Amino acid sequence: MLALIKREIRDHIVYFIAAAICSAIFIAMGLETVHEYNPRNPPVFPIGIGISLAAIVTAGICAMGATQMYFDKTRRVSALLSTRPVSRSMILLARIIAGLLAILTLLAPIAVATTILLRLFTPPIPMYSGLVWEIFTATFLLAFACYCIGLQTGWNTNALTPTLGALGLTCIFVPLILIKGPGLQIVVILQLFITASLVRTWNKFLSTPL
Amino acid sequence: MDENVIKIENLAKYFDGRCVLDGINLKVPQGCIYGLLGRNGAGKTTIIRILLGLEPATRGQTFLLDTESASLSPKVRGRIGCVAEGHNLIQNYKVSRLIKLCKDLSLQWNDEFFRLLIDTFNLPTDRRVRELSMGMRAQLNLALAMAIDPELLILDDPTLGLDTVARRQFLKLAIGLIQQKDRTILFCSHILSDVERIADRVGILAAGKLVVDCPLEELKERVKKLRVIFPESAPQNLYLTEMINQETQGREMVITVANWNRQKQAILETFKPSSCTEVPMSLEDIFIECTRPDSNSTES
Amino acid sequence: MQIRIDNASGRPVYQQIMDQIKRDIALGRLIKNEKLPTVRQLSGQLAINPNTIAKAYRQLEQEGIIVTKAGAGAFVANLDSNLSRAVRKRLISEELERIAVEAFHMQIDARTLLEWFNNAVDKFNLPSKKGQSNG
Repeated sequence: MLALIKREIRDHIVYFIAAAICSAIFIAMGLETVHEYNPRNPPVFPIGIGISLAAIVTAGICAMGATQMYFDKTRRVSALLSTRPVSRSMILLARIIAGLLAILTLLAPIAVATTILLRLFTPPIPMYSGLVWEIFTATFLLAFACYCIGLQTGWNTNALTPTLGALGLTCIFVPLILIKGPGLQIVVILQLFITASLVRTWNKFLSTPL
Repeated sequence: MDENVIKIENLAKYFDGRCVLDGINLKVPQGCIYGLLGRNGAGKTTIIRILLGLEPATRGQTFLLDTESASLSPKVRGRIGCVAEGHNLIQNYKVSRLIKLCKDLSLQWNDEFFRLLIDTFNLPTDRRVRELSMGMRAQLNLALAMAIDPELLILDDPTLGLDTVARRQFLKLAIGLIQQKDRTILFCSHILSDVERIADRVGILAAGKLVVDCPLEELKERVKKLRVIFPESAPQNLYLTEMINQETQGREMVITVANWNRQKQAILETFKPSSCTEVPMSLEDIFIECTRPDSNSTES
Repeated sequence: MQIRIDNASGRPVYQQIMDQIKRDIALGRLIKNEKLPTVRQLSGQLAINPNTIAKAYRQLEQEGIIVTKAGAGAFVANLDSNLSRAVRKRLISEELERIAVEAFHMQIDARTLLEWFNNAVDKFNLPSKKGQSNG
């Protein structure tokens, strides 16, 4: 199993590197904003960049899922692995774990950095203690949902369609989160979506002739 | 354990409404080398893919090592070595990386034997897989399949792209494997001379059916080709059971018959031929006769 | 031992092996009581299925041409053994009948056939009578 995960990571190392870089950029921007913070001059510009970057990152996460499945098909990875003593479930599980690790590479440092910053400085808007965790969970689930869309469609088509789908998903969910707050409802909806998506991918992957 | 390592029961497969396999029944006992023959597109690769669980059957069931093909667990897969058509290898990996991946994923791995094979085949490990010639990829596949010390070896056209020396090396490897206890080999090949050397049983696939399935040594004795000459023109109404082919030209008739016996001899003699000689049939001749579009079946 | 398989032949592989061993014995390349390679050895050397070789050896033993001794292997039989004489008679008679049929179909008369037969006998140095040898 470990060998499978290592293989996935090594084959898609580009995404991990990109995730680390984006993470670093987000943190740097956050530090910059905090450092330069001036109540009379709200940091519109960095926030604008932040949102654009978030959109790119969402597309990237989606692309990762799609690429993993697409490369499998074109490079016939599963066809080779099926001749070895691994089950298709294991192949898919290793793939999803690799995806989750990539998402964590992106989000975990940001979460850690945010928590540290909040300890050191008082935030401009009132925040309750669990907010960071809730935002992190909602963002993580959102990212995972985008990844699942990528997985689902990557098996058949190229990376473009799922990317658009993921952007659409982001456009729906981000306002929802901002309006309703990153609370339980969002988490439940996202979890349902993710479960349905994964089940569909699972069925499809396990029954496709290789 | 059932002594039949491979069991195929009433297998039928349709692709887009087109029937490729029409009721195949086959049993391969342990210790046997089974040669599956058939023309291109006859369905040999399809049977192997269904056996390995890569493709679902439309009807019927197949079993490998007493496990149904659709539910082969990793543990059972670990006992089966296979070389699939097209030599499924991840093209842009380096050979050494591919070897390490296969080694890490396998349940048992005979590294000494594998190194020996790599040396015998002269395979470079520092190149990418796509840079290897077709023959070298075939050899790599074979080495990867045999390194796991398999109880069952399933090979789809293993000598495709191999030169003469490499083919002989493969045959010796197969013999070496079968001499160990409890090993079985199923292989498809177009090189009939190779099949004749190493197979115990042969099966010939034609028109979706297994038209021949018997021990190899019996095949030549069972299928006979006779050149019959009649004093006047050859009779139009000569019919024998299990006649595979019949060609008439003037006074001469050439018939190919399965399971020749005294009764058929007697029937032939009622037509009063002036001479009847046997034409020796090589395995190639038998194969060509049996895979004609309008031939009949001769099962064991 | 050099054995060549003819894939164009109508004879099964095990019979071809038998034929060539018999020929080697008749030509003196294999002598009385000489040890034959084991099934394993021959199978590995020629890349031929061991069962085929085993069948050839079994048939040869049935015909009295070789003997297998448990644990020791297969040996060329002592050709003067009385036990196999009946078997040898049967086999040679079958071959002779086959030749006679072929000759009939090819319209070869008995005299010509006998002449050709004597040529073959001379080629292989068959003694005129049992116990003598041709000089």
